Amino acid sequence: MNKLLVSDIIDIEKGEYILNCQKKDLTINIKGEVTIYLVNELLNKLKIILTRDSVLKLYKFNKEINEDLEVDIIQNDCSKIFYNEAFINNSKHKLIINNLIKGNNNESIINIRNISNKDLSKIIINVNIEKDTINNIALEDLKGTINGGFIHIEPNIVASSNDIKAEHFTTIGGLDQSLIDYLMSKGINKENCKKILLKGFIFSNMDNYILKSFGGD
Amino acid sequence: MFEISNLTLSVNNKELFNNLNLKINSGEIHVLMGKNGVGKSSIAKAIMGDNNYKVDGSIKYNGKEITKMSISDRAKEGIYLLNQSPIQVEGVTNAEMLRLALGEKTGKNVNIFEFSKELEKICQDLELDKSFIHREINVGCSGGERKKIELMHMWMLKPSMIILDEVDSGLDVDAIKLVGNSLKKYYELYKPTILIITHTASILNMFEHYKVHLLNNKGIILTKDESFAKEILDKGFKKILEEYDTFVISEN
Repeated sequence: MNKLLVSDIIDIEKGEYILNCQKKDLTINIKGEVTIYLVNELLNKLKIILTRDSVLKLYKFNKEINEDLEVDIIQNDCSKIFYNEAFINNSKHKLIINNLIKGNNNESIINIRNISNKDLSKIIINVNIEKDTINNIALEDLKGTINGGFIHIEPNIVASSNDIKAEHFTTIGGLDQSLIDYLMSKGINKENCKKILLKGFIFSNMDNYILKSFGGD
Repeated sequence: MFEISNLTLSVNNKELFNNLNLKINSGEIHVLMGKNGVGKSSIAKAIMGDNNYKVDGSIKYNGKEITKMSISDRAKEGIYLLNQSPIQVEGVTNAEMLRLALGEKTGKNVNIFEFSKELEKICQDLELDKSFIHREINVGCSGGERKKIELMHMWMLKPSMIILDEVDSGLDVDAIKLVGNSLKKYYELYKPTILIITHTASILNMFEHYKVHLLNNKGIILTKDESFAKEILDKGFKKILEEYDTFVISEN
């Protein structure tokens, strides 16, 4: 795993990187197969450009977020992005992701998990597939758990091509009482049941590195 | 001792039982039998403290009134419900849940080495792959695997009273044998109080001495020894209940 101190623009080719951001605006150009971890980084603007045949797995985790973020993702031909973001908000927060799919044979999978402890969390995901393109895949899996706050999710997919597979799943809700009851029946008090269920939820789209590094908190 | 006295049980404003009574001495095995839908599982859930059920009356365990206790406090008293259809808990592994439960029970940090060793041995005995220890609870598991996972939890948490709610449902003959043998071994080792809820009775072959209660919508109407289970299976609930009605009428 490589640790990189990054300024405002970076080109990345192949490998796994933990990015430590110096500024709140960041542009990343991806070539080859890349995994990026952005942990507790507070960005306002993130731009990701995927070149032909590139694959990006991105894991973005914020234990507490208080900065609005706008993400622009641009895909050309034959690229794949697995965008995984999980965050907890204790104040008003907005996340906007604009994913533009320009060429053919691209795949975009966007997984978001949010626990809203206080105030409104607004999540707007816009995936736009340009016309005259073929064989593109777009999937949005957006889940929010209300834990004292509010959540508003807009899953938008605009497809101007008829050769596309596009799906979105969105769920917002509180913790399932039957799960709390089940864990309580093993002798765990209610507060701890809620804690482990929330922890399980927030890490459900993160990989082992994030889970091992931050799962104990 | 476990004792239910003058219990009225209702759900969604519908009364299921009125004046239900049941007494089980420590280490005894009792069986509740009754037709589908009579409310057997509701009794199990009410004992465990399910908030969907309204309870009036008394439920005591080892002399302590548990009627107002939370689900987790009842579990800490030693009561364990082995569910008919255990639910899946995404994002929480068996090991994580058990460590937390044992930590709360003992008030100490769990020794990870001993904990892992014990869990691995339990998995081996239950013919359950060790990978289940670090898997999410019941996620993607078959009905048989879920019952084994519930047994894994039971062996780790070591309850002193076990409620088996239709534990044999959805299991093939081999799985019934394995689950039954595990329960029998646990009984021989720890002598817990056991309440078995069943309508098929296939799990009863594993136990020798027990009392059988026949339940209808009025409550427990007959209590006999273990031969009664065979009689019910041979004759069927309908005939047994008809015989009971005839007996009651002639007595009056």
